Amino acid sequence: MALPARAVSLKPFNLASTVRTLPSGVPSVPGINLYAKVYGADHGHDHGHSLSRSDVPPSWASGIRLGGGSKFESRTVMNAPVSRGMHTSTKVPSANPYSVPDWSHYKTESPSMNRAFSYFMVGSMGLLGASAAKATVTDFLATMAASADVLALAKVEVSMSAIPLAKNVIIKWRGKPVFIRHRTAAEIDDARHVDLKSLRDPETDEARTKRPEWLVMLGVCTHLGCVPIGESGDYGGWFCPCHGSHYDISGRARKGPAPLNLEIPPYDFNDAEEKIIIG
Amino acid sequence: MPGLADTLYNTIFRRNSVFVASIFIGAFGFGLAFDTASNRFWDYHNRGKQWKDIRDKYATPAEGE
Repeated sequence: MALPARAVSLKPFNLASTVRTLPSGVPSVPGINLYAKVYGADHGHDHGHSLSRSDVPPSWASGIRLGGGSKFESRTVMNAPVSRGMHTSTKVPSANPYSVPDWSHYKTESPSMNRAFSYFMVGSMGLLGASAAKATVTDFLATMAASADVLALAKVEVSMSAIPLAKNVIIKWRGKPVFIRHRTAAEIDDARHVDLKSLRDPETDEARTKRPEWLVMLGVCTHLGCVPIGESGDYGGWFCPCHGSHYDISGRARKGPAPLNLEIPPYDFNDAEEKIIIG
Repeated sequence: MPGLADTLYNTIFRRNSVFVASIFIGAFGFGLAFDTASNRFWDYHNRGKQWKDIRDKYATPAEGE
């Protein structure tokens, strides 16, 4: 396997420590601060306890200064006294080291307030959790719902003005034929004066149509699924050529092997645009 | 303030059934409010860009189809 090209080239080099070197060979460091404090000095971070640590060497024990001829001189006193105890923290500025600290601000002031607050927090978390769970479940179920393009394909619009009186129209809806008949008043009258007791699958014409002049049915024979022929048959409705089922002008099975009336799909009327919307 | 805390405790928190029911009702309301608020913010943030804002420029009167 080829190694990837090295992204970073690392080369050691020395930065020039100063910009100028004196004739004596000593680098010129004009702005150097020789008063930098040693470690352990409180750089203003003493948090109010201006007590120096006990394990820091005294300031006279070591030092650096600029000698004659721009030469640094460093001096260190060996065996400078340093006291190193069991701990190196600064001393607690307390008059009595055995006094108990003041914990009074931890004391419960109002038990009922604490109780209400605890329950409130529990309830708030439960509320957030419940809404998160609801959103999760809702979104998951929404992924199983039909998308907008499928829903758009699942509806068919038919212009009512394009269908004259006493005419059939066959349209395709979800892969199946749908019969739409613009019925005449005589046909409506005919369909509504049928003795229900004589029917194989008793259903009133009122129940089968939303508007009496428009009959919308699924054009699939309830016997074995052939497509019946319109304006034929013994009852002035539809006739299935496969096995001879007769349907009346309301699409009800009257004769032959068909056990049920022709199915009614869900449909609606859009009066503003004069359309029948199937689906 | 303790009076309010005690009232809250006695009305909602004391009985677990009331507590859980109020959590569910609150979650329903919270979800509704959150959705409304975020939708409003989204519409405000994208104002002038969405179809519902610009459809007046393109939609023709639905006549003579």
